[in-house]
Amino acid sequence: MQAVAIARVLMGNIIISLIILFCGSSHLDDPYEALRENMVLTQMARRGISDEATLKAMRTVKRHLFVPQKYIGNAYDDGPLPIGYGQTIPQPFMVAYMTQIIEPEPNFKVLEIGSGSGYQAAVLAEIIDTVYTIEIIPELGERAAARWENLGYENVESKIADGYYGWEEHAPFDAIMVTAAAEYIPPPLVAQLKDGGKMVIPVGSPFLTQVLMLVEKNGDKITTRRLMPVRFVPFRRSN
Amino acid sequence: MPNARSILISIGFLSAAIIAFQLAIMQILSIVQWYHFAYMVISVALLGFGAAGTCLSIFRNRLLGRFELFLPLSMILCGATMAVVIGISQLSFVRFDSYLLFADYSHVWRLLLTYLIFFIPFFFGALAIGLVFVKFVGQIGKLYFANLLGSGAGGAAALAAMWLFSPQELPAIISILPVISGIMVMPRKSRSLLIAVALSVAIITLGITHPPRLILSEFKSLTKTLNLPEAKITLARSSPHGLLQLVSSPALRFAPGLSLIYQNTVPAKKALFNNGDWFGSLISWKGADLMDYTTSALPFALGDRSKVLVLDAGTGMDVAHAVGEGAKEITAVEPNSVLISILLNELAGEIDSLFTHPSVTIHNVASRTHVLADTSGYDLILLPTVGAFGGTSGLYALQEQYMLTREAFVELWQRLRENGVISITCWLDYPVRNSLRILATLVEALKEQGIEKRSDHIAAVRSWGTITFLVKRSPLSMQEIQQIRSFCEQMLFDPALLPGIEQEEREQFNKLQDGRLLGYLDEILSAEEMDLYSDYDFNIKPATDERPYFSQFIRWKSLPHLSGLFGSQSVPFFEIGYLIVALTMVQISLAAIVLIILPLFRIGWKGGNKTWTVLYFTGIGLGYMFVEIVFIQRFILYFGSPIYSAAAMISSMLICSGIGSYLSAKLALVGKGLLAVLTVIILLLVLYATALTPILKATIVWPFGAKLLFAFLIVAPLSFFMGFPFPVGIRMLAEKNENEVPWAWGINGCVSVISAVLAMIVAVELGFLWVMVFAALAYGLPLGVNWRDLAGL
Repeated sequence: MQAVAIARVLMGNIIISLIILFCGSSHLDDPYEALRENMVLTQMARRGISDEATLKAMRTVKRHLFVPQKYIGNAYDDGPLPIGYGQTIPQPFMVAYMTQIIEPEPNFKVLEIGSGSGYQAAVLAEIIDTVYTIEIIPELGERAAARWENLGYENVESKIADGYYGWEEHAPFDAIMVTAAAEYIPPPLVAQLKDGGKMVIPVGSPFLTQVLMLVEKNGDKITTRRLMPVRFVPFRRSN
Repeated sequence: MPNARSILISIGFLSAAIIAFQLAIMQILSIVQWYHFAYMVISVALLGFGAAGTCLSIFRNRLLGRFELFLPLSMILCGATMAVVIGISQLSFVRFDSYLLFADYSHVWRLLLTYLIFFIPFFFGALAIGLVFVKFVGQIGKLYFANLLGSGAGGAAALAAMWLFSPQELPAIISILPVISGIMVMPRKSRSLLIAVALSVAIITLGITHPPRLILSEFKSLTKTLNLPEAKITLARSSPHGLLQLVSSPALRFAPGLSLIYQNTVPAKKALFNNGDWFGSLISWKGADLMDYTTSALPFALGDRSKVLVLDAGTGMDVAHAVGEGAKEITAVEPNSVLISILLNELAGEIDSLFTHPSVTIHNVASRTHVLADTSGYDLILLPTVGAFGGTSGLYALQEQYMLTREAFVELWQRLRENGVISITCWLDYPVRNSLRILATLVEALKEQGIEKRSDHIAAVRSWGTITFLVKRSPLSMQEIQQIRSFCEQMLFDPALLPGIEQEEREQFNKLQDGRLLGYLDEILSAEEMDLYSDYDFNIKPATDERPYFSQFIRWKSLPHLSGLFGSQSVPFFEIGYLIVALTMVQISLAAIVLIILPLFRIGWKGGNKTWTVLYFTGIGLGYMFVEIVFIQRFILYFGSPIYSAAAMISSMLICSGIGSYLSAKLALVGKGLLAVLTVIILLLVLYATALTPILKATIVWPFGAKLLFAFLIVAPLSFFMGFPFPVGIRMLAEKNENEVPWAWGINGCVSVISAVLAMIVAVELGFLWVMVFAALAYGLPLGVNWRDLAGL
């Protein structure tokens, strides 16, 4: 059995290498395209991300343009990277997972709390007509805004403000992503969530997000659900 | 040639500075990182001593030939480098960040660079001491005395200085002492030394007037808070308890695990940080209703709690909550006297004079000490929240948490009135660890108290982010069970543990994809908890006073499994704190070999006592450091503070061992005498391993001064005898073949460096008892060699 598994992994790697080789030779203008394709294949498709729109967005957005210069070589690695101010650009899989969870449609109104590097908003902007995003740290917010502008994301509306209050003028939202979560869920955000809407909150330390909190609002009933991006395997060896 | 008195005083000053500098580095590391790294600092200091010994062995003639130059120069360089190394360690290309060690590998090299930088002043200091010892070997008794007196005074002086100066000012202040030492022993007309003194004075002056800015990790809670709009530090106080800082920002709010039913505004409040870590928000008891919307309100949902004990009260959030709930008699315990002082004075207005409220009494003592001293009964005992939102990445894995051990929970149980409850809240983590260990520890405590139907005494309520455990002295009544259900219904919480609970009511509002949390909780309450403890990927066995590392969960054998699940890049972030020890162990071992052992090959090793030399000096080096580290760890509970413990233990051990070393020369011990000393050490270690804990517990309630004296007396006999083997061994070896002496120094130094870190790993993996056992075995190592060949019995 083990030999079969090893053979499968080897075959997989050979196929990926061939894809990289092929893509690399046909898209010389974007040397990272092959890495992006590999990222989508190995880090997302194989781990259960199946939403076509999400996968397409992940293929399209140039992640290497959202990371600090010194980490460009690691932009498509399977992990988060520091972006300064104690913040990170999340692991690519987490971005895809969060995007898939809200089941985005073009006509959705989505609010993101914590623009960070701007990568998550760019991914959403590939799918949704208008993305609203708020960043509390001016330096990060300004950098992200410059990136969106350079890359032509005109459908990202951003502001530098305290995310606690949400963005009342554009409420209610179909989905709210609280990527810079605090120890509490701000009551104004719950209020600005549309009936039937979803709020997604990644919970974890900067380099290890283990859980996604999904808050669902149905009338007066508010429920939460803890989702584990890692395919469930018991943490018991005897099982 | 300097006169004898100058030499003695200069050695005293220098020794004091070396100990004080170690404590200053520990304090600074606590601030810029997450832990005091006492083991690492001691290890680096020993590296300096080991390397200086090697240097002295190789260049002995050259150094002694120009003694009048090299002695003051070493002292002056020791002082000058003490004044600058902290500043250098804060330069952007040197500064390491514990959080980034496993994300950006350049930080691994920065860590190595950091302790090589810290090593420099210790090297020069040790070189000066070594030079004096070698030059005036005939007066070694007096010199030892000066060395020891200085070391002891250095510990006390450092603690005093921590009250007077900010942590970044301390190194420059301390560095004055070695420079004075250098001036005292320098020849009057040496121009080069005068230039060195002038430069040092300039550097120190600059260090005092412009102390280096301590740059905290960007991931520390203070740094993140200061990123908020208009955030500013409005007050700062330094003490051995740490650096307290008050931060205000209109966007700074705190409402841990707030119920989603809460619809009012969460107000912005000032917050206090200690050593850059979150300490607490300043909330008034008049506005504590927000706390009613958290799982921490569970004990108050069961009815009136008249007499309340709040442990590690911090800024008083739980105290405010209890006042708001109408508790009549609240005892708040907080070990940080500076915090109490500012809450009673400067910040009294921020919290509406909470601590002078008629129902509140504040006690300035370590929580565990208070619990042991207090004989009253309580309706409610509140412990501070465990863990943090989103987890801590295991940065506190090595923190000794003596309030979260089985023994502590037993003591709390004994303080409960008939209807009294213990309440403890923890943040939910994934994979689940904190809540499982809390329950496991509570269950063990109940078992020890002979409670058979433990599930009748325990309730737990879960929100989207936190879980609160409640343990009641008497079984929970039907009415109380109903009150808990109503509380959950009202707040959108779910009962996780409740007598007679139905499965479907456990996930009404907050669903878990991994429903095993509830299964695991049930299993801990069942008779099969041992299966879970042994099978689980993380160590969730109850913490004990022997292994008080509540936040240490990683099992080495689970790493491949976790790596497969989360990716190898993510795994270190489960427990950075512990992995740093392993990393330090590798790096510092290599540094010790390179700086201490390899240079000795230059002089070669001729002689027939290699096995004896290796075993003897390895054994006593390992044994000594294991004892020193375990004493520091154990006495943290006794003194309630790692800095006090480190200062008391390092100073006491040095003084007593030094007296032992001094007497060993007078007694001219060899052969049988030395064997007897080694046997006494082993027997004492066995005695300490069994009797130390009960002795410390029986006297923990004594006043601080009495405890300090008693601690010295406890440590004295063992340390005294541990001072014998090294000088006696060196002398025996020197008589036989002087060529082997540098190797003996080198081996002992190298092993000591490694042992300081290794002791930490053994303490975490096996407990303090085993550190003591290994220390005894290490001292037994020399007994296994052929003594007749060397000295003749």
